[in-house]
Amino acid sequence: MPSSTFNFEREIPSLPWRSLGLAVVLLTVAATAAWEIRCRAWGYAPTLDDTSDLWAEQRRMVKPDSIVVIGDSRALFDTDLDALEQGLGQRPVQLALVGSCAYPILENLANDENFRGTIICSLLPGIFLAPAGPPVENSLTALKRYQKGTIAQRASHRLSLLLEDRLAFIQQEDLTLEQLLKRLPIPNRAHAQLPPRLPPYFYTLDRDRRARMTEQAARPGELQERIKAGWIPLFTPPPPPSYVPKEAFLQGMGQAIEQRFKDIVTSVAKLHSRGGKIVFVRYPFTGELKKMEDAGTPRAGPWTRIIKETGAPGIYFEDHPELASFDCPEWSHLSGPDSVEFTKRLVPHLKKALSTPAVSQQQGQKP
Amino acid sequence: MLFNSLTFVVFFAVVVTAYWTLRSWEARKNLLLIASYLFYGAWNPPFALLLFATTALDFYLGGRIAAADSPGARKAWMWASVAANLSALGFFKYGNFLLENFQWLLARAGVAYQPPHLDVFLPIGISFYVFHSLSYTLDVYRRVCEPTQSLRDFTLAVSFFPQLVAGPIVRAADFLPQLKEARVLKPGQFGWGLALMTLGLFEKVVFADTLLASSADTIFAYRGSLQSLDAWTGVLAFSGQIFFDFAGYSTCAIGAALCLGFNLKDNFRFPYAAVGFSDFWRRWHISLSTFLRDFLYIPLGGNRSGPARAAVNLMIVMFIGGLWHGAAWTFVVWGLIHGGLLVLERALKAAAGEAAWLQNPLVKAGLGLGTFVAVCFAWAFFRATDFPTASRLVRSMAGVLSGDALLSTREIIQVFSVVGGLLLAHWSLRDTSLEAVVARMPRPVIVAIWTLMLCAVILTQGSGNAFIYFQF
Repeated sequence: MPSSTFNFEREIPSLPWRSLGLAVVLLTVAATAAWEIRCRAWGYAPTLDDTSDLWAEQRRMVKPDSIVVIGDSRALFDTDLDALEQGLGQRPVQLALVGSCAYPILENLANDENFRGTIICSLLPGIFLAPAGPPVENSLTALKRYQKGTIAQRASHRLSLLLEDRLAFIQQEDLTLEQLLKRLPIPNRAHAQLPPRLPPYFYTLDRDRRARMTEQAARPGELQERIKAGWIPLFTPPPPPSYVPKEAFLQGMGQAIEQRFKDIVTSVAKLHSRGGKIVFVRYPFTGELKKMEDAGTPRAGPWTRIIKETGAPGIYFEDHPELASFDCPEWSHLSGPDSVEFTKRLVPHLKKALSTPAVSQQQGQKP
Repeated sequence: MLFNSLTFVVFFAVVVTAYWTLRSWEARKNLLLIASYLFYGAWNPPFALLLFATTALDFYLGGRIAAADSPGARKAWMWASVAANLSALGFFKYGNFLLENFQWLLARAGVAYQPPHLDVFLPIGISFYVFHSLSYTLDVYRRVCEPTQSLRDFTLAVSFFPQLVAGPIVRAADFLPQLKEARVLKPGQFGWGLALMTLGLFEKVVFADTLLASSADTIFAYRGSLQSLDAWTGVLAFSGQIFFDFAGYSTCAIGAALCLGFNLKDNFRFPYAAVGFSDFWRRWHISLSTFLRDFLYIPLGGNRSGPARAAVNLMIVMFIGGLWHGAAWTFVVWGLIHGGLLVLERALKAAAGEAAWLQNPLVKAGLGLGTFVAVCFAWAFFRATDFPTASRLVRSMAGVLSGDALLSTREIIQVFSVVGGLLLAHWSLRDTSLEAVVARMPRPVIVAIWTLMLCAVILTQGSGNAFIYFQF
């Protein structure tokens, strides 16, 4: 007897489904409204999630002569797009990503034959040189969405923007079920190798991907202390994995980082060869984080080498008193108002840097 | 388009509204066909052409099989359909796999050959729609199904959007008769359909994606040895994840079809309460196991030629079943493990006969637990990307290897709670149906559970993770 049955009918539980459904809708709407009110009372406000879709939307806006900002969260928080537009005469496209290594984005732009514009690149050596791991994956995920995103994904993104703009509880970094479960104070095994926790919600984002630190985070207090406490483990290099001998691991890392230096030089040379420009920027950082970064990746190390080997101009905030006078409330980023002022003060340096012809070591000649 | 996306919510609302607004049955069918191709084309429009090409070819070949006046001709047209469908599947899904293995074989023979890498995208859901379409020509050949005269109806049967990309594998013989007359909603059908869609989404986005996926991903991505607890947690997490992911999709598909007045059969029947492996395959991915039974195992001779031949047939079927899931030897080994377990079970059953102690509830529970544990060990090969990873995991689970602890206490509690709850639920429901349980449930409890599921789905703020079975 074949398994096919021509007149198969599914059983339907005999219940008043219309009234049950209505009750479910009413209760769900009420529960959602109550949750929205609770989230707003906690200090959350409607803002956009920094998704790969939002990034991909911006990437699609890059034109041949665009000014593009790439890098980590410092470029995202500390670069005010309005101030930059006013200063440089062109609205930049914000492609910096929180916790990401900018190299895959730089490579993507360098390989884009249509692009001959200007890149402002945040150079935070600890993650710009990361050969693998979450910083690289963040960038690759965003790039993949740009390159392979489907029509359905774009449509879902457009629809979700309508909700994110209006509802405070839509906050993927802090208020999803998964994030709420992570808050449970359950002690871990002493020897468990767990990734560091990411900082809590402390910034808003607009459609242009302009990030602003919230006022609550910019004020001294419990939230600010929690964010500061999060940076130390995040910026501490993880120990070598147990399944690779330490020497072999360090040797492999060294080779991968060395390769990354070469790849950066190659990408910058490609960009220069088409008439494109790039300027590296070291954005402000303070407090314990500064001590840590200065010790781990001193300026004389990766920064100096990249500037020298690429021939691209660099702006190191500490070289200029007007850029070095800012304080980062949570050690790593500028507050919203300070980011506007910082960008205004950065503009003359950018103009000067971009007017200087670059001489890349690999190219050995002016582009 | 994913069921767990805002686009689908809007798409489905528009399609359902328009569908029930139209009066003409022909117009409704046209609408469903257009909607199904939009649903599929939203991933990659050119692949809709491939979908149509395979469908149109099988429509033609089905007609030729029915019209053939000799058994030889019937068989030749049937084989033409099999060859065409499997060629499409082979090229898009197994092209690089075959080339790599060919290269490996030549290298063993001392011939250095570097095959070109075929830069082909895998059309989403190809394994499913090829089987939807192939079932038609095979059933026409078996005289189980009359050939349809309507290309539109057949195209809709293959591409009907609720089941198009990840099953259940709906046979044309089951679906085409439902297109003959206008579908009429039975009382409660629409509401029950929506409730099933909520349940399916809840299974996918809350259990699979939120509570289980990260533990499974962490453990299966690790290249070192693990503590036994972590290895077990990772494998249990995947056991739960793959069930909730795939059963969630099937439940959504069944619910969406019900809202449109169509009936799709169950694809899962509380599989983790299976006692034995033949019972497992009667409960897990039922549409695939019945497809392989009817179109492969029985034509191979089934168990009609003695136990030895039946064992060989089973191993062939499970080899193919493993390979159907993906172009990798790990999937084949997973299939062969299940094949071996099925053969072993038959041998043990033959030896034990109808022993009364087998019906003892405690023995049954023990056998059920043993079945689940064996299924979990097999999942390690299914999910691992290579054999060293699978081997490390299995040895860590068995306590042979000891290594690192990677999971937080919260993740371990989450996984054991969800999978423990899943086992209890399956065990308590194994001899009944969801419909029967819901019909007996007090109404306030139904409202509370449905509301909780909907609120949890909203709270996950889904990031639109694709369903695992899309890649197959």
